[in-house]
Amino acid sequence: MFESTNLDLFPYPFHNIKEGSNYRYSNDLRKLDRDRMNCVRVTPEYEKQIKRKRQLLIEQPNVRFQSYPHTMEMQWEVAEMLMTMAVEAHPEHFKLEKNGSQWTFHNLILNEKESFIFGDASSIELEPLDLIGRHFATDFVLMVNRDDNLYLEVAQESYAALFSPHWNKGMTFDEIHGPVPFVSRTGVPLAEKVRQFLLTNVLPGEPWTRINWNLMANRWDVNYETHDTWGPTRYLVTPENAGELVRLRVEEQFFYRMPRSNAILFVLNTQFLAMKDLAQRPEWLNQTYSILSDIPKPMADYKGFTPFIEPTVEYLKNLVQKVSLQAK
Amino acid sequence: MVYNSPVLFDKSATMVEKFTVRQKRRKLLIISTLPREAGLIQQLLDESNGQQQYELIEIHDEFSLKNIGDVLNRQKMGTQLYILAPWDEAVTIFTEAIEAGFSEDEIQTHILGEKKRYVYCMKCYHLQEVEVDETDTICYHCQISLEIGPFFSRERKGYIGYPYNPALVIAN
Repeated sequence: MFESTNLDLFPYPFHNIKEGSNYRYSNDLRKLDRDRMNCVRVTPEYEKQIKRKRQLLIEQPNVRFQSYPHTMEMQWEVAEMLMTMAVEAHPEHFKLEKNGSQWTFHNLILNEKESFIFGDASSIELEPLDLIGRHFATDFVLMVNRDDNLYLEVAQESYAALFSPHWNKGMTFDEIHGPVPFVSRTGVPLAEKVRQFLLTNVLPGEPWTRINWNLMANRWDVNYETHDTWGPTRYLVTPENAGELVRLRVEEQFFYRMPRSNAILFVLNTQFLAMKDLAQRPEWLNQTYSILSDIPKPMADYKGFTPFIEPTVEYLKNLVQKVSLQAK
Repeated sequence: MVYNSPVLFDKSATMVEKFTVRQKRRKLLIISTLPREAGLIQQLLDESNGQQQYELIEIHDEFSLKNIGDVLNRQKMGTQLYILAPWDEAVTIFTEAIEAGFSEDEIQTHILGEKKRYVYCMKCYHLQEVEVDETDTICYHCQISLEIGPFFSRERKGYIGYPYNPALVIAN
């Protein structure tokens, strides 16, 4: 339903890996170029994704949105940044009217408007980030900087990958990444290294990015709450059905230092590509096949795709052969 | 208490088998609910060898436990706290100490008897006690099977309980 149909907009995760090289965990953050700093994207799947996101937020508010009462001012700051970015990136789709502190945000794609007194939480029914976040297909996590660490204080998530705003609320960056079983070349736990990097380098006006990826078996969203449902489905994948069931799940992550609160906003743009659709880009297909063929088991275990990596690789091997024969 | 205040759990950084002296502390405050563990306290005092001032509070009833906050609040900077108690009393003392401004680094806890462990059901968000060595359990509230994970949440005050369907696990 949400599979990327415009591959030019799909954040293919292995662009920066040299041909013939394999994927290993590393600190792969990159500073965003000035023309890429805006995180608002409108893809052909925008309306479907927004519909799905709102449905999840309505049906499972406790699962999908969490915050502390003291974060209101921080949330307004984020909401202002997102609305401003939306208008800058897509003036044909979004409009923001300001009359003193009385603001109206127009979403012309959905033909909706949100009117509120900026900074006054009592003028809206939802919390500021929950309200404005529902106009964007991306997920949002606000990590507050205290004691040389980052604490999760607000999160709106509809495409979880082994993450839960409810469970992870209040955790430090290191606690959230506790399951990451890798260390850097210098022996420092990777999560600690990345945290230090974020704290030092993500500055106001200087956002960074990285691309995270995973494989999902017939699911858009795997959170802890539904572990009993999606856990077993991972065993249904075969070399015959992997093309349909298995998707490359890509999470384009943006990191913004909020100038007033000093918190770091994580914006997560999640897109999916079915294994069968890799055939549309043979160079992506060949590289993905090569990388997945050589994934270390601890990495597959951590990412949760050990149960179906073998049939997926088998499927890709067959697809590579088929595409290569067609090309001759 | 604020949301990221430390809480006492079985793998708390404050848990020790034996008390040790922190050289830069000016005072040792020992709070014990069981005087028969005098050996552990004496060992600490021997190690200190009179270099630090010490205060020993022995709690014998619920009334004095309730007033432990007063004792903790009147402590000055540089006090190292030693808690020697069964689980429930240790939790009360620990929580009061955090409230009074102690950090985990300033507390050592020795539990007499069994430690308690809690699991947080990720299906229904119910918190329940489990045995220390249990790896799986059933949620009392929603009856789902839970695999007890290694990750602890201060906010939820328990270890993560991953819901699963045992019939499907066996089939795999």
